[in-house]
Order: sequence, then C-alpha cells, then structure tokens
Amino acid sequence: MSILDILGKRIVFFDGGTGTLLQEKGLQAGEIPELWNINRADDVVDIHKKYFEAGADIVLANTFGGNGIKLHDTNKTVEEIVTAAINNVNKAKEESGIKDRPLFCALDMGPTGKLLKPMGDLDFDDAYEAFKQMAICGEKAGADLILIETMSDTYELKSAVLAAKENTNLPVFATVVFDEKGKLLTGGNVKAVVAMLEGLGVDALGINCGLGPVQMKDIALEILKEASIPVIVNPNAGLPRNENGKTVYDVTPEKFSDIMKEIAEAGAWVIGGCCGTTPEHIKLLKQKCGNLEPLKIEPKNKTIVTSYARAVEINDIPVIIGERINPTGKSRFKQALRENDIDYILREGFAQQKNGAHILDVNVGLPDINEVTMIEAVTKELQSVIDLPLQIDTSNTEAMEKALRHYNGKAMINSVNGKKESMEAVFPLVKKYGGVVVGLTLDESGIPETAEERFNVAKKIVETAKSYGIDKKDIVIDVLCMTVSSDNKSAMVTLDALKMVKERLGVRTILGVSNISFGLPQREIINSNFYTMALMAGLDCAIINPASEGMMKAYYSYKALAGKDENCVEYIEKYSGEQSKAPVKQQNTGEMTLGETIEKGFKEQAGAIALEMTKTMKPLDIINSELIPALDKVGKGFEKGTIFLPQLLMSAEAAKAAFESVKTAMDKVGEVQEKKGKVILATVKGDIHDIGKNIVKVLLENYSFEVYDLGKDVPIELVVETAIKEDVKLVGLSALMTTTVTSMEETIKALREKKPDCKVMVGGAVLTQEYADMIKADHYSKDAMASVYYAEKVLCSCDCCK
Amino acid sequence: MDIKRSEVYRYLGYGRNKPDEKVYEAVEECIDLVVKNSDMKSIYRIFDLNVEGSTIIIDNSFKTESKNLSKNLTGCEKIVLFGATLGTGVDMLIKKYSKLDMSYAVIIQAAAATVIEEYCDICQKEIENKLAAENKFIRPRFSPGYGDFSINHQKEIINMLDCPRKIGLMLTESLMLVPSKSVTAVMGISSEKQDCHIKGCEECEKLDCKYRRS
Repeated sequence: MSILDILGKRIVFFDGGTGTLLQEKGLQAGEIPELWNINRADDVVDIHKKYFEAGADIVLANTFGGNGIKLHDTNKTVEEIVTAAINNVNKAKEESGIKDRPLFCALDMGPTGKLLKPMGDLDFDDAYEAFKQMAICGEKAGADLILIETMSDTYELKSAVLAAKENTNLPVFATVVFDEKGKLLTGGNVKAVVAMLEGLGVDALGINCGLGPVQMKDIALEILKEASIPVIVNPNAGLPRNENGKTVYDVTPEKFSDIMKEIAEAGAWVIGGCCGTTPEHIKLLKQKCGNLEPLKIEPKNKTIVTSYARAVEINDIPVIIGERINPTGKSRFKQALRENDIDYILREGFAQQKNGAHILDVNVGLPDINEVTMIEAVTKELQSVIDLPLQIDTSNTEAMEKALRHYNGKAMINSVNGKKESMEAVFPLVKKYGGVVVGLTLDESGIPETAEERFNVAKKIVETAKSYGIDKKDIVIDVLCMTVSSDNKSAMVTLDALKMVKERLGVRTILGVSNISFGLPQREIINSNFYTMALMAGLDCAIINPASEGMMKAYYSYKALAGKDENCVEYIEKYSGEQSKAPVKQQNTGEMTLGETIEKGFKEQAGAIALEMTKTMKPLDIINSELIPALDKVGKGFEKGTIFLPQLLMSAEAAKAAFESVKTAMDKVGEVQEKKGKVILATVKGDIHDIGKNIVKVLLENYSFEVYDLGKDVPIELVVETAIKEDVKLVGLSALMTTTVTSMEETIKALREKKPDCKVMVGGAVLTQEYADMIKADHYSKDAMASVYYAEKVLCSCDCCK
Repeated sequence: MDIKRSEVYRYLGYGRNKPDEKVYEAVEECIDLVVKNSDMKSIYRIFDLNVEGSTIIIDNSFKTESKNLSKNLTGCEKIVLFGATLGTGVDMLIKKYSKLDMSYAVIIQAAAATVIEEYCDICQKEIENKLAAENKFIRPRFSPGYGDFSINHQKEIINMLDCPRKIGLMLTESLMLVPSKSVTAVMGISSEKQDCHIKGCEECEKLDCKYRRS
C-alpha cells in the first residue's frame, strides 16, 4: 500500500524530533547523528518504535544529513548509512507489532549544509548528484516515500526534488523552513515556494522546523490558501531557548496538540513534529486529530511565475514583461553576446527592473553563438543579481531545457504553438520543470487570419496541454498581433481573438504589443494607444520596453482608470513629483570640462559631455587630451594618499561612461581604439570574494587594456587554457584568504609550465611582497593602481607608459 | 543600530582623513542599502571548557592548540561559541553594484563589514547581560584566524552550533564563510571580571596594517 492511498482519507501522522532524543541518549554537539544508524542501531530502533507506538504513520529514517557531502569526512558510504537507517525503521515496524494500520518509512533528505552557487560554492548539479545517490539507495533499501525537509533555499530544494523524482518511483513530499515573517533564508515567500513545488510535481508540500506551532499557524494557513495539493505541517516544540548551554523547547504536548488540531481543521492533511517534539507530543496529537475528516482541497487556479525570492501572479492587475534582453535588431546587444559580455546584459536587466518590469524576457539566440550554454549562463547570472522572475524565450528545445532545469523558481516559458511538433517538444518540459507557458495561436497552416480560427488554435493548445497534465492556469495565450501598416484590420482581429480566448477558454493572455506599429513612423504613438485598447480587451501580460515613456503612461493611466490602482496611489507616486521635483543637489557641472567631471567622479555628466564633444572633436583627441590626463591625475593622487579608493573608483566609472560615448562615436565612423594588450583576471580556485579583482578590472579597462575576466573560483586549467588560446602575456590573480593562496601558487606553477612567457601579478587581502615572492609571482600589486602600472610596464611598448 | 561612520571610512582606507561631500553622501546611501538588505541572524551556545597550557578543549570533543587564544581564555571555566550573519541579501547587493558602479560596491562592502561587527557587539552585549545575572563575565570575542587560532576551526564552530540549519551560515570547501558578511567567534566565561573591551584589531600582531585601528 502506498502512502498516497491513505492521503486525504484520514489525517496522516509524521513522527516527532529524532535529534532531541538522540541527544538525550548521548549524541554530542557536532557529532554526526547518521553514524548512530550503525554504531548505536538499537537506540535508533528504539526511538522509531516509540513513535510508531505513539501513533505515527510515517517515521523518518535517520538520514537527514546522510548525503555524500556531509558524510565526506566519515569512513561510511551513503549506501551503508542509508541502508542501515531504513533497516532500523523497518525493524521498528516489526518490533512494534502494529497490524491494524500500515506503517511507512520515509527516506529523510535534509540540506547538504553547503550554500549553492552563485552565493556559495556548491554547484546545482553536484547537489543534484548528492541527493540522487541518497534517493537511489533509499528506494533500494526499501523506503516507502521520500521526505525532503528543512530546506531554506529554493534552488537546493529544486535539485533535491528533481533527484528524487527522476531517479525513483517513490512519492515525494517536501517541506521548507519559513521564519516568522514567512520568508526562507534565501528570501522566498510562501507563494513562490508553493508555486515552484507544485510545478515540479511533488505529492505533498509544507513547512517544518524553525518555529513552534503558535508562530507556524499563520504561515500554515497561508500555505493552505495557496496550495492545491496536500499540506504537511511539522513544527518544533516552540522556539529554542538556551538553558545552561543546552537548547530546550517549551511547548508541552497538550498545547502542541491543541494548536495542531486547529491547523488540521484548517486543512492540513499531514501533521507531526520536528525539533523538541517527543513521542508524547505525537501521541496526544493523534488522540486529538485522529478522527478529524481531512478538509477537501480546492484547486486554486492561480497563474504564478516565480524567482527564488518573489512570486508574480498573473491576475486582474496587468503585468509588464521587459523585452530588452533580446538581440533582434540591436547591434550593441549582438556584440555583447559575441564577446560574452554578460555584464552588459545584466545592466539591461537592472534598467528594466528600475523602469517597472515585473518579469524579464530572456532571449539570447544568435546564429553564431552557442545558445544552449549562453542561455544557461545568462539566466544564472541574472538570477544572481535580479529577483524578478524570468521568461525563457527560445525556440531551441535543448536551450529551453537547460535554462528551465537550472532556473531557480517557476519560470515563464516563451513559447509553444499549435504545431504538433512544438507541443510534443515543449509540453513535457513544462510538465517536468513546472512553468507558465506562452501559447502562440499559429500552427502548421500558419497564423490564421480570423479571430475565430486563432481561438481554435488556442483551444487546441489548451486541450493538448491537458493531456500532458498541464492545467490551463499554467498557460497564457498569445493571439499574436500583426502590423496595421499592411492590414488595417489586424488590430481588431487581435483584440477580438483576445476577448474570445479569455471569455471562452478562461485563460490568461499575453501580447508582444509593439509589433502592431511595424513600418510606421513614431511607433510609440500607435503602440501606446493599442496597448490601452488591448488592456481594455482584457490583456493580462504585455511584452514591452519599460523604458518607453508612452507605454508606461498608458499602463499607469489604464490602471488608475480601470479601478486597478486604489486611490490612484501608484499613478500619483509615479507622476506627481515629475513637474515639481526640484533638481535635488544637482551639482553645478555646467562649467566643468570633461577632465574635471572625471576627476570629481560625475558619471552621467562625463558621459553627456563626452558625447557632446564627439560632435566637434576627433574621438582619439578626446581620449588623449581629456580622458587620459584626468585619469592620470586621479591615479597619482591615489598614490600620494590625497585621493581615496571610493574617489578613484568614482572617477573610473565616470571615465568609463565617457569612453562609452566616445566608443559610440568611433563605431559610427568605423574607427577602432587600439588596445594596449590582453590581461586575464581571475579570483583563484576556492576563493569566492571578487571585489578586489573587479576593482582592478575597471581600472585596467579605463587604461585601454583588453580584460578577460574569468570570474571567481576559477579552475587552474581555465586560466592556463585561456592564456594559451588568446596568447595572453599577463595574468592577474586575486586571493583573499590564506586557505586560497595555495591555489594561487598552483595556478602560477601551471602557467610557468604551459605558458612560460606569461607574467603573473598577484594581489588580495592576505598577500604581501614576501608571500608573493614565496609563491613565485612576478609582481605583487599592493593596490589597483599598482596593477595598472605593472600592466603598462609589461605590455606597452610606447614611451609614455615606460 | 549605531553604525560608526569612522569604521566605514577606516575600511575604505581613509585613516584619519575626512571624505568629500560626494563620498560622504554615497556612504550614507550605502549604509541605508546595507541595513535594508540585511537579514541579521545569530546563534550561540555555552560549552564546557578546559585549558591546559596552550591546549584548549571545548565540550570534550573540540581540541586545539593556540597560545593567543589560551591567553585570552585564562581563568575561564566555560566558553560561548557564537555565529552571526547578515544573510545573502548583502552579498547580492555587492554583486549587483559590482556590475553597476564599483565605487558603490566598495562602499557597500565597507558598510557591511561595519554593520556585521556592530551587530556582533550588540549580540555580545546581550550575552554579557544575561551572564551578569549569574555573576559571570565574558572575554573579548576571538575568531578563527586571529593570531595562531587556526582558521580551520570555523568548521567545528559551525558544526557544533548547527549554523547552516539555524542561521543559514555555511562554509565553502576552502573554509570561507557564506554569506560573506558573517562572523564566527568564541568568548570565554569566567567568574572574575576582566577588561572586556579590547577587540581583535588591537590584539593583532600585524602592526603595519593600513586598516589598523589607532
């Protein structure tokens, strides 16, 4: 019998705390509890048995930290530990002698104890492998289900769920730790977690640990409001308290079970305890809740996309999807993709977030780049600095899968269409990874001309999705808009189709609004008016450029007029200041020269003045007569100690803005500024602090060096390979801690062997000249300017640099 | 929370020099950003302590050699293990500004370093007050990496406090704390009052450090 057969028929009971009881039996702080499965098996069996006797239906095997990462320093394998742990539960089942109800053993999978990249150093795929190994061993040893628990990072949670579902046939339950504000440690809220877990197809979800039943109740109710699948609630016996150096929990079995009864009555189907709860807690819990009828679960039908930290619900408030991360028609963006300049793409992301986008579309398809690796890299990088959900936009199924697998949350997917081939490729991915998919109303016969026909394609998409188990709440339909310049009925066809799919299919809708004006002058006029019309017709999501004033004005006006902006708060906030806003603290830069704006670090003004100057001066003259002298002056001041690091960098950023302006002018006339030479920068393997390296990068770029920034935690081979491939003569390595200077030394050694003509400069908090000599570096850079001077010495042949 | 501006400027390499108005304003803005993006969490537990010569034994299981720490712990019978973090939000903030404007990135980093120290001071004060009720006193906090107290001991402290689970503080393979703006430390407990106000910086033997507090 499967646990799924019982779920919903009666309340199901988990066991309570295991760690607490092991501590009572002598488990030391910092000791690995999973070793007790082998060394103290009888004690573990005894605890399990007490829980079965107290009334638990499911007992967790003592495998919380039984993954290869945590067991690394022990002399036991995952298989040994997991097998012993499952056997212990099965032995307890037998010894309990209980025959009147089925007893279940759950493989318990807790977190790895490592933080995943990008903030930590554990790769998503490595976390997956660790959970996969556990899950396989667990199923083989006879576990009845898998409980993934105490997760506080959605990314690690996702890797565990995928590992469990892809490698076993066991039911998968997952619970996370929310704090009192209803947030995970990594920032996710209830809505985001529930949407992601439901998308991944777990069998039940919920909350455990961190809080006692009192604090957990509100959050449990919130989960119940969001979830359309069974909910699990496993609180601690209150909040932990320090008493004589011991952690104690105060909530008595009586109080615990009273509150838990309220939670079960509100709809939780599976209940039990976590830290500090005992067989006595579970016994009373069962007494009070054993006869409760599980509340029927109502499907919530919410269309939700999430990032690791936030959920965007596509409901009656229209949603803006930023369209700017897309190379189509943008030469600068194409260049960035070809040069692997991900920072440029990130800045497009920041700008759109600032301008009011709720979701960012991500399209990095170019014929001459590898879209599969690029989309993975870009989604990961975007997610490391921007908390908006992303819309994965690609027609390459392999790229789509790669991005969805490594996406932290429940993504929006752009797109599927009515073609059989498209649906067969995309729907399995939506089903597996979760997501809200955009359905385009076109099929084998092209884009239908009438609204009715487009509706029919939409219907086909929704019905086919259903056969894959994808609910229509996870589909948004794009009825497509064609330019009115070639067919003056096209706008009305689009709007009619939009109304039809909304009314008759009950699905959410989306449009790439600006296609409507293709081929017309002053497109924003048509776009913004069409946008308002589409909103009136019920458009839910618009893919637009949030930097377009006209579109945003249409958006905010519509919301105010349609009663979707209470008291016009947003509209007022957005537009009231605009007229009256006094130029706050605007520096008087009117009189300044470009050189002065750079010296004083006025970024915007430097860019603007440089742009102005390109109209009358040759780009190279601007660089040589204004930019370089200003930078030199600041650099000298920094050396002398009259200018400090923040000022040095403000000047560097201002110079960078000026260079961008000059570069634009040079591109126009086809001029190229000569680079002084190539430099590789890397924060060494094992080191994840890259601020120092980034400072050096800005300055080297200012001084026209071509920088290959390999990032942080860089494998030795990558440094060597890049040096050889690009024939680089100077490598800059940074390390922060004594523990990582070793890998700096190894990197230098490898470079000496394979690229002997390459010089190495080193820097970082722990380094000294002495240290640098010891690891045989060519140069110790005491600060960022010193790196610039050394680079000039090594790479420049001109007199001015010597 | 009283965030000492002088500390922020010290981390930025200003020594006794005064910042100009532009930097001053940026610093204020960055402190604000750091506070808004912090999710401060801490944990501590008290363990038995045995010090013999330079050998230190905590809870009968965590054993280490350190002259500097054993000196700091002379006369102590118990020890506090302590961990604190500002959370991942601040790391993201630094990363974001590294892409947008490096001058802000370094100021945010300096502000965050100040905030975590300040937060540790507040936590320490709380522990101090609690122990004062039992007529116990605590010693200055001492972190792995100070003097000859090996940085490798981050591991024991993190494990014994169950930091990953309790406050989301973890270690990388190379023993770096993540989130990066985090602290682990020990504090001796004794029945005799000793001056508790000397902090790590002044204790350090690297006299030529340009960030040294004077």
